[in-house]
Parts: sequence; structure tokens; C-alpha cells
Amino acid sequence: MSSRAIVIGSGAGGSTAAMVLAEGGWDVLIVEKGRNYFGDLRSPTPATAFSNDELKSSASRYFEDPDVDLEPRSFRRTASEANRVVGNVNHLPSTVGGGTTHWDAKTPRFWDIDFKKLSLLGPMPNASVTDWPFSYGEIAPFYDEIESLIGVQGDVNLLPTSPTRAHAPRTKQLPMPPGAPQYSSVRLAGGAQTLGLHPFPVPMAITSQPYQGRPACNDCGFCSHYGCPIHARVGALAPLRRAVIAGAEVRPETFASRVVWSGRRATGVVLVDNTGASHTEPADLVVMAGSTIETIRLALLSRLPNPHDQIGRHLMFHWFTAGFGVYLTERIHAYRGRSTSHAVDDFADPEYPAAKLAAAAAGLPYVRGGVLELGGSQDPIAEASYYRFILSTALSGVKPFGTPLKQLMRASILRDRLAGIEMISEDMPQATNTVDLDPAVKDYRGVPVARITYAPHQHEIVSQTTFIPLLTALIKASGADVGFAIPEVSSDLYPVAAGDVPDGKHIMGGMRMGTDPATSVTDAIGRVHGLDNVVVSDGSVFPTSGSHNPTLTIMATALRNARQWVGLRTAAAHDVLAVTGRDDHGAVAAAAIAGSAAIALRRLKS
Amino acid sequence: MLSRRDFLKGVSLLPLARLVPLPAWERAAQAATETFAFFTAHQAAVVREATARIIPGPLDDPLEMGHPGAREANVTRFIDVLLSALDHHPEHIYAGGPYGTGAGQFVALSTQQRRAWETRIAALKKAYRDGVVVLDSIAGGDFSTASALDKDQFLLDDRAAGFLEILYTHAIEGTYSDPVYGGNTNRSGWTEIKFPGPSMPRGYTRAEVSASDGPDVIDPTGVVAQVLQVLGDQ
Repeated sequence: MSSRAIVIGSGAGGSTAAMVLAEGGWDVLIVEKGRNYFGDLRSPTPATAFSNDELKSSASRYFEDPDVDLEPRSFRRTASEANRVVGNVNHLPSTVGGGTTHWDAKTPRFWDIDFKKLSLLGPMPNASVTDWPFSYGEIAPFYDEIESLIGVQGDVNLLPTSPTRAHAPRTKQLPMPPGAPQYSSVRLAGGAQTLGLHPFPVPMAITSQPYQGRPACNDCGFCSHYGCPIHARVGALAPLRRAVIAGAEVRPETFASRVVWSGRRATGVVLVDNTGASHTEPADLVVMAGSTIETIRLALLSRLPNPHDQIGRHLMFHWFTAGFGVYLTERIHAYRGRSTSHAVDDFADPEYPAAKLAAAAAGLPYVRGGVLELGGSQDPIAEASYYRFILSTALSGVKPFGTPLKQLMRASILRDRLAGIEMISEDMPQATNTVDLDPAVKDYRGVPVARITYAPHQHEIVSQTTFIPLLTALIKASGADVGFAIPEVSSDLYPVAAGDVPDGKHIMGGMRMGTDPATSVTDAIGRVHGLDNVVVSDGSVFPTSGSHNPTLTIMATALRNARQWVGLRTAAAHDVLAVTGRDDHGAVAAAAIAGSAAIALRRLKS
Repeated sequence: MLSRRDFLKGVSLLPLARLVPLPAWERAAQAATETFAFFTAHQAAVVREATARIIPGPLDDPLEMGHPGAREANVTRFIDVLLSALDHHPEHIYAGGPYGTGAGQFVALSTQQRRAWETRIAALKKAYRDGVVVLDSIAGGDFSTASALDKDQFLLDDRAAGFLEILYTHAIEGTYSDPVYGGNTNRSGWTEIKFPGPSMPRGYTRAEVSASDGPDVIDPTGVVAQVLQVLGDQ
């Protein structure tokens, strides 16, 4: 009889774990609290309800996102203040496929220094910087495997030797060459080169040619924040497909409200269906993969072992800075293409001269910015909403609607003439940045919602102050007539920003991996300390945040860890041994042998 | 520094801006050809005239000759479709995929989504019923027959602030969203701003993605200059 695994969440991490377990002979049930917008998940191109539709995809319609009227979160900056916001706090899509249904699909790798941050760069004052339980060298083959699985375009020979390939060495070419360079990205890449930076076609999980039954991307332009109508861009759907082919069941509109456990073992999960009815589904292995914030919420709702008060601590968002280049003599047409096609890595390097100077001046051991995504823009409803904001707040003596709005829409300075930059900066882990259960706010089911307490570290602000002028210089060097950069999220130093609540969708930490239970929640393979059969498979296990988009690393980490969970089925023998009164050293040894066998098998395959 | 209200008062002295309301016969013709699922004829008229102030077209502002706005996009229809969306099965909230639109195909709401939208749309219906009453009250009669300048003043009245928020959001959405949702008639909103709309299944060629479209110089006057100034000061 096969062992039963329940995977909670069908996004990048959950689908990857489900694939490994289902193909490893486990009976897998994947529960997803959102709905399913896809047809036959065994197909490389299932029917889909996603389309080129800005209104449907907008934040106010909750097509793939959780409906904030039903499932809000709360946000405050420090533990001593009241909630600033109850509503959308960095909500990720809640639907089969998770965040990858509408991700931007940029797939840079984390760097060697990200995995050994404490050893290689030393401690950061007032931050909980630590090492990952594995190195870049160990995870590199899993990166290779995920890049093949989801279909990444790019050319390793076009990645800069330094810093990119020096910090993330590669032994394999990517499965597909880069697609068409996007004009808006090329313009900004030109500006970057003028400044002596090293722009490159960024690897992304979007086809540039037919791939494993999926068509080549046709650069429709409705990319980031839109579901792909043709599956040229997938993410979770690739491993989910293999999981389903291997027999896994996907059960949408099913909310996991509690992991049932006693002693060292979970025995099941309380599931609530869309009528509100609940039951306990038995499980031999529980995989928590609801994405960082929801996984922490579930851990707290389940009162998982937490002897050192670590669950929910060291929450990280990337610290985003947005640059705007406006071109008055031509339209840049960023509405065609794959959101952006080029990136710059130089600012992610702590050895970048301006970063070193800033670190010395601020008395910090190092300063990092992050990867720059070059060339994004926005669509008309978002554009008009932005002008409305400007007309209503920033301009005096102008009617806040009417012909001024129409003139701005025709000129299109913030859409068709805009080439944007996002800098995705490293966010230091801090014990005081947390997710806990809001004592007052509940979802429509009556379940307490996640409360986020978060403020940036001094490092992030020093980094932002350092790189804002450089972003502006890059934009100006590209030939833009107007160039400026602003923080995406306000802080004490920058009260004026694009928003007041982090909304970058890169959410990590809180269930951090580590070898010391006093400073981590999960062990070196993502298993919750103190429990033998509860594991975590999403970004919450990240000990540090890196300076690059996290999803590829979520999937590679899930793949590495899940290969070792396949052997956990032998832990079922643990119970038998315990019942028969024998000591469990034999079972532990058996589990260790099975784990080693799984690792050996993986090495053989790769 | 002038306040917004002062500015409007100043504008009202200019003969150019002395706009007259639609002729009565034209309003009657519109009312006769349009039937709505939610709005009464009067509510529709108030919403039409209010949103036409927010995104004006040729009938609303002489500066907009040749430039369709909310009236031409039929934003009133868009709002009526939204407010009556749950009366249809499937509900008219989410258009289907993968190429979307025009076929009138919608995605049925899940149990959970239906619950949220029932609450949200009930609140919106109330906001529209009450908002029309408020605008009429501020106008001291029928808002829809007031002069253009008066309508602008009424919309900026503090008592209408909440309703203006909703009208503004829906004027934008109804003008620039896919026509399947009832607005953006004949893609007038997109054509006006040179936005091509959905590109699937054709997409774009490599040349269209990678090459410049050639020079297209902005008219850097008026509010455009002001906004560029504000942005450049960041």
C-alpha cells in the first residue's frame, strides 16, 4: 500500500514536491484553496480562462488573487503600532498554479554568496544573516533540472563573466535561445552600457521555440500579471502536469485549516471544502507549500512545535526600487514582448564600487542592490489610474478629471513612452520582521488572518539611497528625456513612495532552514524540527533573500529537498517499531539509509 | 497658489468653456434607444453626464473634437453590466479565455467568488442609487441637465466625494477595458490612445518587438508639461 502525502498549495514549491513524491510512488493529494482555471492538467496546453484582459487581471477584480473582502491580511511596521492596513498585503495568486499563473517568469539563479552569506560576507549588525544548509555547488544540478523542466530561454554565453557567471557558474547551456529583444529593454540596456554596466538577455521560463508540446511565445505583450493564454510561459504547471500523470489528485477550492499531529508525527490535515464542510484527511506526510505567509499562518494555526519562538520570524520581502524613463520623441511600445527582455546584475554585487563606498560610509560590512529588470511598462487602466492620482494630489490649479486626463492619455508618458526599471534588492533577515495571527481580524471562515510586521533594515535604505541616483543616470543615458527613480514602498527615510505596503510578491523566510533548532524552524531538508513527517516546500524556508527573483530557487530547493522526502515513507515503519516497543534507532538508521539511497539515485539521474 | 475650485471659477469666465448641455431631443433619443438592466432612465442620464465630465468626448468639451470619451465608449452601459452581472449565468464578471472576447463568454464564479461579489455589488448598487440622489440634490434639481461647468462644480462638491471616487474608477474601466464588459464601444477608448488591445492569437513579430516605430514627438504643452515637470522633480 502506498503512503499518502498531502501537499498544501499548488504553486511552484508544492507542485515540484508533488511531482517528486508522485513519481516516487506516493499517493499524492494536492489541495489548493483557490479555484482551477485550467482544463486537463495532463496536457502541456490545457484549456485556460486566462486571456489578454487588463480588467480581469486587475487588482480590483480578484480573478486569480485572493478576494481581500473575504481573506484580508493586516500590516504594521513595528510590533508597537496598530495595524496600518487591513486588506491586500503582498497577496499572491490563490489558484491552481499559484503565483506562477501570472508571474513574470524571470529565472536568474541565486549566487554562491547567497547560500553562504554569513561565512563569506560576515555578520550584518542587527540582522539575522546566516548560511543556508547547502551551497551553490550542491543546488546547481537542481537548477539545471528545473530550467529544463519549465523551459527556460536564454544564453549562458551572454551572461556576464563577472559578476553573474563568477557567482553562479554554469555547466550547461539553457534549453532555448533568447527570444526577441524588446525595444524598451534594448534602449535601457544601451544606457546601462554607457555607464559601464553589463546588460544581458535575462533567462526566463518562456519558450522561444516549441518545447515539450508547448508553442513558442508570440510576444503578445500581456505577460507579467497576466495568465499566459497559450502556455508559452508556465511554472508550476510543468511539475504539476507530471504529478498528475503520475497519479496525483488536485483538489481545488479546498482550504487546509490545521495540520493534525501529536508526538513527533502528523496524522492528517483538516480540510474545509467550498461549502464550509470540514473533515480530517489522513496523511503519512504533510507538505506545507501555501507560499510563505499562508504556510506560516497554517503552522501557527496548527500550533506546530515552536520551542524557540522561530516560526514566522526573519520574514523577507525584496526591497524594490522603481525607475521611470520617459521618451518624448518616440513611442517605446513596451506593450509588445515579454514584459522585459534584459537585466543588469552589477548592482547585486557587493564589490560594485559605489556599493563598497556606501558600505564604508554607512559603517556596514557590505551593501547590495539587486538585479535590474529593464524595460517594463503598464497598460491603459493602470495608466489612467496613475494620472488620476497625479491630477488629484500633485498638481494644483488643474481640474482633477476631464480634458487634462484625456491629454495625458493621448501623450501616454507613463505607458507607450515609458520604459521602466525594477531593482530587486536584497532584504536582510530580521527577527523582528514577522508573520503572526492577527488577534482580531478573521477571514470569512472565521479563521484568524496573517498579520505582517515588517520594516526594512538600515542596509536596504542605504542601498536604495546609493542606487536611486545610479538608476536615474542609467535612464538618462538611454536617451530618456525624463528619468527618475522612487522606492516602491515608503519608509521612515522615504515617506513618499509608490505604495505604503510591500507588494513586490517576493516573500521569503519565516520557516527558515537550518541545522540549529534554536535559530531555525526546518532542518537541512525542510522538515519541521520536532516532527518527522511535516515538511515545507516554498519560499518560507529561505534563510536569506538573495538579490534575484526567487521562484527558480524555490523550485530548485523544493526539488532537492523532496528527493529526500521520498524516503520518508520508511518512517511509517517508525510507528510500527514504536508500537512494538522496540527502540527506534533501527528506524532512524533505515530512514537515513533510504535518504542516502534517494540522494544517490538523484546523483545517478543528473 | 490657486485651489482647484478657484481654477474652475476662473475657467468659467472664458467664453470657450461656456458649454451648453445636450439638446433635449438628443437626450430623449439616447434615452429611447438605451434600456438598462439596473439603471432607471434618470439614473442612467445622471451617470452618463457625470462620467462624460470625467472622460469627456466631442459633445462634452470643444477641446475634445475628434476624441471620443466616456459617452462614446458607453461607460453607462459598462456600469450597468457590472451592477447586473450576477443576474446572468455565467455571471458577467470575468470574460473567458484564451482569446477572450466578443463571444460573450464568461467564466462562472466559484462559490467563494459569488459570495464576495454579491456583497460588493449590493454595496455598489446602493452607492449608485444614493449617489444620483446626492448629485441631484447638489444640483438643486436634475444634475444631468445642468451646464458643463456646473456639473464639474457639483462633482467636486465635498458631498459627492465618495460617489466621484466610484464614478472615476468606473469611467476609466469602462473606457479602457475590453468591449466584452459593455464599455469601450467599437474600441473607441483604445483607438483614441493608440492602444491596440489584445494581440492574441497573432502576437507581435520579432521586428515589431525589437525595432523602433520611428519618431513620434509629444506635444509638451499644458498639463503634459506640468506632469513632466512634477516627474522630473522626483
